[in-house]
Amino acid sequence: MTSRPSHIGANVARVEDDRLLSGGARFVADVSLPGMLEAAFYRSPLPHALIEAVDTDEALQVSGVAGAFTAEDMTDVSPFPDFDQRARPVAIFPLARDKVRYVGAPIAVVVAPDRYEAEDARDLLTVDLEPLDPVVSVDEALAADAPLLFGEWPDNIVIEAPVANPEAMAEFEGRVTVSGRYEVGRHAGVPMETRGVAAEYRDGRLTVWTSTQFPHIARTMLSYCLPLDETDIRVIAPDVGGGFGVKAEFYPEEVTIPWLAMRLGRPVRWIEDRREHLIAACHARDLVLDLEAAVDGDGRFRAVRGMAIQDLGSAEMYPYGFSPAFTAVGHITGPYRIPHQSVGVIAVATNKTPCGAYRGFGIPEAAFAMERLMDKAADHLGIDRRQIRRRNLIGPDDLPYTTSAGAIVDSGSHREAFEETVRLTSERLDRWRARLADDPHVRLGSGVVNYIEGVTPTYYFTSGHWTSFDSCTIRMNPDGTALVSVGVSTSGQGLESMLTSLAAEALGVRRDQVRVVMGDTDRTPYGLGSWGSRSTNVASGALREASSLLLEKATRIAAHLMEASPDDIEVYGGRFNVRGSPGMSVTWQQVATTANIRTIDLPEDVKPGLEAAATYDPPGIEHNPDQYGRLNSSATYTNASHGAVVSVDVGTGKVRVLDYIVGHDCGTVINPQIVRGQVVGGIAQGIGGALLEKLHYDEWGNPLSTSFLDYHLPTTTEIPNMVVRHFESPAPAMPWGAKGAGEAGIIGPAPAIAAAIEEALSDLGVAEITRTPITAPDVLSLVFSGGGQEHPG
Amino acid sequence: MGWRGDERGRKCGSRVRNPDDVSVKPPPFKYARPESLDEVLRILSEYNGEARVLAGGQSLIPLLNFRLARPQVLVDIALVRELRQLEVERGVLRVGAAVTQNTVERSSDVARLCPLLTKALPFVGHVQNRVRGTVVGSIAHADPAAEMPAVALALQATMVARSAAGVRKIPADQFFLGPFTTALKPDEMLVEVRFPTSRKTRAAVTEVAPRSGDFAVAGVAGKLVTTRAGKARDVALALFGVGGSPQRLHDVEARLAGQRITGDLLDQVAALASHNARADSEDVHADAGYRAHVSGVLVRRAVEEMTR
Repeated sequence: MTSRPSHIGANVARVEDDRLLSGGARFVADVSLPGMLEAAFYRSPLPHALIEAVDTDEALQVSGVAGAFTAEDMTDVSPFPDFDQRARPVAIFPLARDKVRYVGAPIAVVVAPDRYEAEDARDLLTVDLEPLDPVVSVDEALAADAPLLFGEWPDNIVIEAPVANPEAMAEFEGRVTVSGRYEVGRHAGVPMETRGVAAEYRDGRLTVWTSTQFPHIARTMLSYCLPLDETDIRVIAPDVGGGFGVKAEFYPEEVTIPWLAMRLGRPVRWIEDRREHLIAACHARDLVLDLEAAVDGDGRFRAVRGMAIQDLGSAEMYPYGFSPAFTAVGHITGPYRIPHQSVGVIAVATNKTPCGAYRGFGIPEAAFAMERLMDKAADHLGIDRRQIRRRNLIGPDDLPYTTSAGAIVDSGSHREAFEETVRLTSERLDRWRARLADDPHVRLGSGVVNYIEGVTPTYYFTSGHWTSFDSCTIRMNPDGTALVSVGVSTSGQGLESMLTSLAAEALGVRRDQVRVVMGDTDRTPYGLGSWGSRSTNVASGALREASSLLLEKATRIAAHLMEASPDDIEVYGGRFNVRGSPGMSVTWQQVATTANIRTIDLPEDVKPGLEAAATYDPPGIEHNPDQYGRLNSSATYTNASHGAVVSVDVGTGKVRVLDYIVGHDCGTVINPQIVRGQVVGGIAQGIGGALLEKLHYDEWGNPLSTSFLDYHLPTTTEIPNMVVRHFESPAPAMPWGAKGAGEAGIIGPAPAIAAAIEEALSDLGVAEITRTPITAPDVLSLVFSGGGQEHPG
Repeated sequence: MGWRGDERGRKCGSRVRNPDDVSVKPPPFKYARPESLDEVLRILSEYNGEARVLAGGQSLIPLLNFRLARPQVLVDIALVRELRQLEVERGVLRVGAAVTQNTVERSSDVARLCPLLTKALPFVGHVQNRVRGTVVGSIAHADPAAEMPAVALALQATMVARSAAGVRKIPADQFFLGPFTTALKPDEMLVEVRFPTSRKTRAAVTEVAPRSGDFAVAGVAGKLVTTRAGKARDVALALFGVGGSPQRLHDVEARLAGQRITGDLLDQVAALASHNARADSEDVHADAGYRAHVSGVLVRRAVEEMTR
């Protein structure tokens, strides 16, 4: 290893930004191949219906149309395997067979020379659908006479995992209890780039470009569904314009488009439009946490019990849409010393777009519920909302701390980050009070919340199949530059920069000597992709191991070239230096040239070539829960405290977030500006989920948020100034002590903003906020509940 | 918006064929870009209702892409010079159909003589929209949640409609018939809107929208003159976003006229505005009750602002 660390913690510019910001990036929509056709999907206009017949004759008569297909044509395609034995099998098929279960389900596909023609021809399809009664809520789905989404099931329950932990139950005897039902609304990641797939079948090999977060998993899934060996499939995730979990799902279109390319013998592309995205890419959240806590008189929580109840939509999503509910349960006690829990999960199918992953993955829901419950307990017991947290937060002496969910919190700055966030939040609130003293319409308030986030988690719990490792190969070119290829992939979050710095650090080369390769199954070793705030940790673990193998060999070559002992060699600044002999050194280029070209100069016992491969499986992760649902799902745990300062217009209910403060600890900070970017972006999305974003349905199961006119993402005008303070509690078991930072920002805004709104209205004695998004009409109702409305009333 | 059943469980059109909303890219259309108004009107006459005028396209292009509008021909007026006038003539501000919102927003003459327009325009979308969007186009489109129709109504603007057959002047209070529906005939085009001007008038726009630049959930466009004695006259208040069309609040205006503005009076007019608001817009963002309530709050704030 190098003895002179220089890249860790350096605020260096992102290497990918020149490409991404100057139009040099290549997205799926930029893939253009000779003779390429475009596809348009016919999607179900009904939430629940039997497919009686699809007549393609008229569409096929349009000149140029290359084909129109339905599930019946895909006789050589297998449905997605159902890996998880705990859940009922869904058997997702690329185009709907027999039945549709949500508006947006793909029924047929039309292929033509361009998208306009494809859509014109698609409009000529005649699809006979026999409507069935829709089921649009959990309550409807669980009703005794509910229509069944899957006829072979006895009910609409996809998975049910109740927990009855007697130790938790015992805590409720004789104690104060507080309870609540906390609901995080249905919203989604909505990346700037929608999904897209292009495919070419040539010379017996299939190449698929897809906007995905996990190219290797996509390749394996393709091999399960199509009659092809895995070696005959190459999946490329080119530049991906945001993922946020939406693209950590394997979608029907990712099978259909490659199948079309094989069937037609021509390249085929499909680029999702925004309307499709809002009804056919995965939705998320839509989770209710029904909780009760047993609390001592001084505010110390002793146990929490209840259920996570998830509306899964049609459940036709893989990896499983119910996994966030389990992750919520795994994070329910947050960074608090709550000795026992007994929280189960039930997830039901309804006639809405299937739920899947979204940044945060259950943890925002858990934090919303626990922080709301903590505020409620504080109010009930007459304890200050900050003080009750102090009494429950785990401190340095508690670490490592095993939570009641089984998570082993390895390190952290839970109290320190909280106190700093409290201090800064009060300061900002005072400043705003002075600034807005003359505004008669608004009241101000603040809220501070805490959470932990399991990062680098098991995937077995989510996929029922894959586990947790990843991999790295490093090839030293003869000129001393390094090609670093990894199984994780990027969607713009700065991973290339992170791995460039870490490779430079590990190999003792300059950053400009490193090229990172990702997102191509032919050019990278097998890996599970980027999700779960894992990429930096798993890739860098493998990278460190591969570097160490490579350095061992390179050091022997360098020592031989200088006639020195390998023990006296140290590597930095792109050179191998002999300790104690200033000026005596060889460059990486000399070593690599020797290894690859002038092999006559190699030591006798060293073979040519300079390449190393390694895998890394993060230590300590458990893949299966115990009987009470407990497991250590993640390799390490990031912590943070969030403070929001808001104004509430008591005449209109309009909420503005004025300031946002974060005390954030993801262990060793490798690049401060990249961490800040992750946190700030996550907060922006969190504010969207807290105040604006909801995928609405009417009582018939029709989606009502099908464009950006009605699905409101936050814009710059809704995002406040943010203060991000980094704390660094290195993860003892992680390479470089780093912890994931990809999801932390999104977890805090909903509970922090809810608490701030309540504080702003506290003198009115308003009701509790229990669900998101918190819209202006909701807030006005709260004001009315306290009798404090502005005239008229 | 997807398929809607009339009644739960009832079989509804078991043969579903090409619902308009399933598509997103525009259906085929012809495109014309004439250089004279006469030619525009000739095309409108020839296609009689199957042609649509394209000005800034900020509403029409999305409608085309959703295939909710299926005109046979788009008539782009970008090259028609005679529709670009923005001038004050004999106390009237004349805004031609091709004048962008941004041009009007930045005009110092408009700010001085027709301040309600200047105050309302920053609420219309974002600056990117206003650089292309037109004042007249927004009025002709008659989105119930848009600011421009309410401004036209509050100012009692005159709509100048033309067709190959001739000119028709329509007062604002006879122009807006319902959501996206106006008194224009299929072969007519709104070529100009004439706003009365005044150096004494004060103006205010107050609205609630989920985000800056969104269509309003509820809003008020108002104007008022305060006499030397401190009394209100020439009051006009128009709500938007609340019902299917912009609506004048005549009773509220009458209550204010000739009065000195006091806190008590503001309380009364706010209550009256909430009561009289015809709030029949309901969507995922707000129900009718919310819209009616905040109408009163917003009227109160608009009047306060104009008399402060």
